Amino acid sequence: MPERALADVTVIECGKTGAAAYAAKLMADLGADVIKIEPPEGDPARALGPYPGHKPHREKSGTFLYLNTNKQGVTLDIASAAGRGVLDKLLAKAYVLVHDFTPREAEALGLTYDRVHAVNGDLVMTSIFPFGGSGPERDYRAEELTLLSAGGWAWLNGWPGMPEMPPLKPYGFQTAYQGGVNAALSTMGALFARQRGLAKGQHIEVSVQECIASILEMTLPMWSYSQITAVRYGNRPIQPIEMFQCKDGAWIFALSIEEHQWQRLVELMETPEWTTWEVAANRFSRASNWDALRPFMEEWVSQWTAADLYKAAQEKRVPFAPVSTLSDLINSEHLNVRGFFVEVDHTEAGRLKHAGAPYKLAGTPWEIRSPAPTLGQHNRQVFGERLGMSETEISSLTKAGAV
Amino acid sequence: MPGPLDGIRVADFTWVWAGPTCTMQLAHMGAEVIRMETSGRICTLRMLPPWFGGAPNPNRSGYFNQYNQGKRGILLNIASPEGAVIAKRLVAMSDVAVENFAAGVMKKLGLNYEELVKVRPELIMMSMSGYGQTGPESAYVSYGPAQVPMSGLSQLTGYKGMQPMHVGMSYGDPNAGLHAAFAVIAALFHRERTGKGQYIDMSQWESSMTVIGEAFMHEQMNGEQPERDGNRSQRMSPHGQFMAAGDDAWVSIVCTDEADWQKLCRVMDKPELADDPRFRTLADRKANEDELEMLIMEWTLQYDPFEAAAMLQAAGIAAYPPLSNKQVLSNKHMEGRGFFVEKEHKEVGALRHAGIPFRMSETPCEVRSAAPVMGQDNEYVFGELLGMSSDEIKSLTDRGVIR
Repeated sequence: MPERALADVTVIECGKTGAAAYAAKLMADLGADVIKIEPPEGDPARALGPYPGHKPHREKSGTFLYLNTNKQGVTLDIASAAGRGVLDKLLAKAYVLVHDFTPREAEALGLTYDRVHAVNGDLVMTSIFPFGGSGPERDYRAEELTLLSAGGWAWLNGWPGMPEMPPLKPYGFQTAYQGGVNAALSTMGALFARQRGLAKGQHIEVSVQECIASILEMTLPMWSYSQITAVRYGNRPIQPIEMFQCKDGAWIFALSIEEHQWQRLVELMETPEWTTWEVAANRFSRASNWDALRPFMEEWVSQWTAADLYKAAQEKRVPFAPVSTLSDLINSEHLNVRGFFVEVDHTEAGRLKHAGAPYKLAGTPWEIRSPAPTLGQHNRQVFGERLGMSETEISSLTKAGAV
Repeated sequence: MPGPLDGIRVADFTWVWAGPTCTMQLAHMGAEVIRMETSGRICTLRMLPPWFGGAPNPNRSGYFNQYNQGKRGILLNIASPEGAVIAKRLVAMSDVAVENFAAGVMKKLGLNYEELVKVRPELIMMSMSGYGQTGPESAYVSYGPAQVPMSGLSQLTGYKGMQPMHVGMSYGDPNAGLHAAFAVIAALFHRERTGKGQYIDMSQWESSMTVIGEAFMHEQMNGEQPERDGNRSQRMSPHGQFMAAGDDAWVSIVCTDEADWQKLCRVMDKPELADDPRFRTLADRKANEDELEMLIMEWTLQYDPFEAAAMLQAAGIAAYPPLSNKQVLSNKHMEGRGFFVEKEHKEVGALRHAGIPFRMSETPCEVRSAAPVMGQDNEYVFGELLGMSSDEIKSLTDRGVIR
């Protein structure tokens, strides 16, 4: 068995937005022992899909399957007194509790640091809140779309100069993923501090709004340094940074950051006249005159297939990139040589390739050891074997609706 | 109270945005991060606007200053043999080395893991190139903006029926940086328990795909690419950005269920809409979504977006105006939470930057200082840390090693 970076680190995860699930997945995939607590009706991600044939099935939701590899799953009504008693027993033996309930929900559930700390003084409790744990808008309701707006990302995305086109949502659950990776990062810091004896348990509070506001490229300093309001489609002080359609219908991302890359791109284009004009002289002047220059580039690109152009540009060390479809990625030779996609067999959903390791730690591998749990799959193992509860105790909890 | 990474030193070979985002997290957590730069090849971010005062100036770049807060900075030409030797001496005194050059560059400089581990056996080294260290495209060049289309995110994002979109910022960069910081601290935790360091190969491309994991499930389950669908959701309606009173003013509104929809009808003072057969259930609202959105916009157009959002939030509906960069910086909620940072910088003074999106109760994280101007810490690092005499430093400067 390979060494695992987070071996024996027990993490209790509960919540609803996917942020806590992603934080716990990042830890589980490096070897942490994660117990996922679902309400008796199941985690909300079981209702998100995607599903085979678009037919809802709680064991076949792609979002749930992806976010919950390597976890043990139990059902527990933590709002009931009996359920809470079981949760406290789990917390007493854990290193980490991570959740993404809102502050009000957490308070109603008794998931406050004071109460958890009394059960286990060494526990790291990480609360992922939409607007943080303080401030005038702490209790604002939040969903993915409104958090993209509140964090300042939505404003940057969409078509510029078209007043009827709204700020645009990036695909998926990016605020949940960003909340999750920040939660994992800060939790890991707390575990390291604990291991070094700098602190025992502690409370970490993550604001998803701030997770987004802290990654807005150069746009915040655009205001504080230069009093410029950012526009949609990003602010592009340099060009080319643009998507074009190729002759085969596929798209290419034409990118040149440094002037030496542009020089080699000009060579690849065989130095057409427009590249010699003064307005094309440097990356800033190209950007300010891009409306005039863009059609030339578009026409040149349209003579290529995307695959050929990608290769030709990269051979000259110009950072063009494909605008990949999902099947392009699943079939990518490069990604397959690196073993990025990992096939996981699930009793109900069958074999599916999962997006794999975001990083490869040479000494302590990232790995998928088990698929996402079916609903309540590990109740017996966790309540019985770990907590030493008897069959009678478990079945009386079940009857009471706590399990 | 010390930060969780107090006493940890990081030899920072990174540049542009992804790598510096990783090392900035480590600095916020208390590590001493020493960023090596050279005036022979100035960091891309220093050469991009916004510059304080308007004129290009590498020490006044807001983009650089945002993502290099809390670090020390030295000038060292690591491409010179003597510079590489000095870099190794610094690594010998460090716990972590981080770089984000294209694969192969560190080896060419004689600064690859196999070389560095000789001078620091317990070293944790993080390489975060665009494509990873192996695979047929590993030598290709890449920047964060390219990770958005490469990862599949562009093909998934866009207005209905229109072309694939970028997401308005170079998302691949900070996303890779945050994942990398998590992996580094996991490796530090492992080192603390076992004494063993290790090498980490991270691909920015791959880490960009781990935040759209559910999309790959969709493709495999149904043999199709999810359709670009603007701001709408399959599971909730209304779910969008609605035009409000003012110039380019919008408010995002999400109703998660029928109860939310009924609340919205009351806020709009159109209670009859709740019983309107066109909008009664989710299926009804999805079938008549164009009409539904027009009706809501008739209401939102009468209000300032912040006023509309406040009315909606008071009724318990998720709503927020998409904040511009300027509005993020003056957001009272985040300001009240102490999210923004204004540290005195040698050349730009105390300007406002984004801070840290999480708070740790026992090992506080903190933006310790503004970003360094070029060579700011030469004396401390070469003199105090590496013990060089002022004659040695002068001679290295004269010979272009320190430059």
